[in-house]
Amino acid sequence: MTHTFRELVVGGVLLAPFVTYALAALVIVLIIRPVLRLTRFANMFSHASIAELSVYVTILGLLMLSI
Amino acid sequence: MDMAITAARTEASPARGATSAVPAPTQLALRLAGLPISSWAFAVRLWIAVIISLLISFWLQLEAPFSAALTVLLLAEPTRGQALAKAGWRLIATIIGVSASIAITGFLSQSGDLILAAFAAWMGLCVYAAGLLDGYRAYAAVLSGYTVGLIAVQQIDSPQRVFESGFSRGAAIAVGALSITLVNNLLFAPDRYPRLMVQLAAIHRRIREYAKAVMQDEVTDLTATALLKREIVALRPDIASLATEASSGPLRGAAARSAIVAFVAELHAIRALAALPVAADPAFRERLTSVFDRRHDEPPSISPVGHVIDSAKNSADATAAPLVCALSELLRTDEEVRKNLVALKSGMRPPRAWRAPLYQSNRIAVESGIRASAQFAIASALFVLTGWPATSVPLSIVALVIGLGATTPNPRGFTTIALIASPIAIALAGAFEFLILDGVSDFPLLAIALAPFVVGAGLLISGPNPALASLGRLSLIFFMVIFSPSNPQTYNPQTFVFSSLFVCLGIGLLLAAQFLIPPVSQERRWRQLIASARHELGLVLSRSDRRYAPEEAMFRDAVRVGQIASAGSTDLQYRISIEEALSYFDQAAAIRLSDAKLTQLVGDPTDSPLASLAAEARTALVDRDAQRIRASARSLREAAPGDESLAIATSAALLLAGAVIEAAPSQPAPTEKGS
Repeated sequence: MTHTFRELVVGGVLLAPFVTYALAALVIVLIIRPVLRLTRFANMFSHASIAELSVYVTILGLLMLSI
Repeated sequence: MDMAITAARTEASPARGATSAVPAPTQLALRLAGLPISSWAFAVRLWIAVIISLLISFWLQLEAPFSAALTVLLLAEPTRGQALAKAGWRLIATIIGVSASIAITGFLSQSGDLILAAFAAWMGLCVYAAGLLDGYRAYAAVLSGYTVGLIAVQQIDSPQRVFESGFSRGAAIAVGALSITLVNNLLFAPDRYPRLMVQLAAIHRRIREYAKAVMQDEVTDLTATALLKREIVALRPDIASLATEASSGPLRGAAARSAIVAFVAELHAIRALAALPVAADPAFRERLTSVFDRRHDEPPSISPVGHVIDSAKNSADATAAPLVCALSELLRTDEEVRKNLVALKSGMRPPRAWRAPLYQSNRIAVESGIRASAQFAIASALFVLTGWPATSVPLSIVALVIGLGATTPNPRGFTTIALIASPIAIALAGAFEFLILDGVSDFPLLAIALAPFVVGAGLLISGPNPALASLGRLSLIFFMVIFSPSNPQTYNPQTFVFSSLFVCLGIGLLLAAQFLIPPVSQERRWRQLIASARHELGLVLSRSDRRYAPEEAMFRDAVRVGQIASAGSTDLQYRISIEEALSYFDQAAAIRLSDAKLTQLVGDPTDSPLASLAAEARTALVDRDAQRIRASARSLREAAPGDESLAIATSAALLLAGAVIEAAPSQPAPTEKGS
């Protein structure tokens, strides 16, 4: 079965579906930030910035696979 | 280009000028070719981000790939959080700017002259908004302004393309922001917070040294206090960018913000102490100064001093009470600073989160806005008169330099640096395009050839010299504008000559317009600030003054003291203005603290009979009449029952306010109404 992606249309300009996913993933990451803070996520890694980027990439990948 | 702004700001603050663009804790002892390895890392990160942004833009076939590369250069901040915060503001400002472009073009598409007039007005509005903000918010305000220049003015002859052009610019900016964010994350760009921690600890140490000097009755320098305040308030924009750094960033930001507010409160407590006669007992003074020798992570060990203070609190001695009040305020604020610094270190919520309100003079902002608008109008009128076909390019350069210059303390100085940078950039871009590349169409060759230029400028940007840093950044940006990478590259000498000429001409004309209508002078700025401080002291305890807690209002006043400390021009004038500003600051702070104590006292239902006395004391405070304040303090002390500690504390605070007001130098007659 072929996975279909819906395009975002703003004022007649077609935007790649990736843009929608990237924005949605950003919103989800911003929402779960307080949870990450409470669980002291940043303290578990030597390079917290890479760990947080990986969370973003994971959410983006999951979104693209599931929707 | 914003490093240029930072650089211009650091020029005005010598203490910050010593700060390298790269945070010190990450600076390794290892050096390469005489430069710290962290500078090399910054320059290489910049180069990689430029290459990635160009590669993605070419791959996506974006209309303006150089916009993506320019975004990377503009977002090249030394730390990760700062770059991310700036990227966020850049995206928001672009959306506002594109919307304004569509609106201006939509309404006035029939007449190019009216578009220019509307744009001049919009530019003025944005410069005004930037005058009321600081840090990346001010940058976002001016960016909203010059985005219209880059979109609406460049498409002035083809208004139907404005929407499309806005979209392609938005896409290029998003690609640039993503490239630098990715590179900063993967290549371990340093965080701002370790360096901030070091800076805050150093400031706290200096405040404690100052406290000890006051306690030992040594001579203290007024200018040093004002400069300390300026250094403290200068950290405000950096603290705002902590929130984007990590998931614990917002808490760290709140802790750092509360720490700088507490610094200002501690400085006020020391200044109040300085207004009183020194404690006579040398042993007590010795014990007090030893309190300030402990480290931040040590638990408070103020008990020996605390006992003395507690026992003195109940004494009815009129000279001991204000001294005790000032000392306990000093110890309380010092302890608050310590707790905030501990919270910052551990990423915990601070014990009490303060806001750090910003003071910006409305009148200076309005004047800057009008002047910027007039400067743009002059430059655009001259370009319209020439009747050249491609004048939209230099006009957008003029808008860009006006906008970015507006966020620096000296806009004309910024234009001068830009004028010096442009021939350097033209020479570099010419050599790069026609000698080094000379018709090459492979991307890897472009990437390799760009390396020495971007890395070289990156090393200048991260260097300790602010003037060289801004020159490096501006040269690199103009280099990218003139070279204007595209796929395929055209290598057209005519385009090169025209864009070089227009960059120089635009900046030169703007400098001429700035000589004709000079930006707000330091002298005028200084007068306005002093007048505003005087005016607001008259409004202390009014409804508008009660928006903030006393500590927050103190911080807002300290921002103004910092601005006055930056604006003084001659030596004598400088000292006088600093003394005056500090005296206004001390009086307003002492009055607000006493008022807070009075509110606490009257708010307590058991003390309701004291309400009329409190009202009397408030009137005396507003009138700044030291005799009446002291009389009110005595009446309050006598009216309260013997063991009523709050009434005693209030009475002591009033006596202290009286002493501070009395110690203030006599005020000159108001010459100008404050803004």
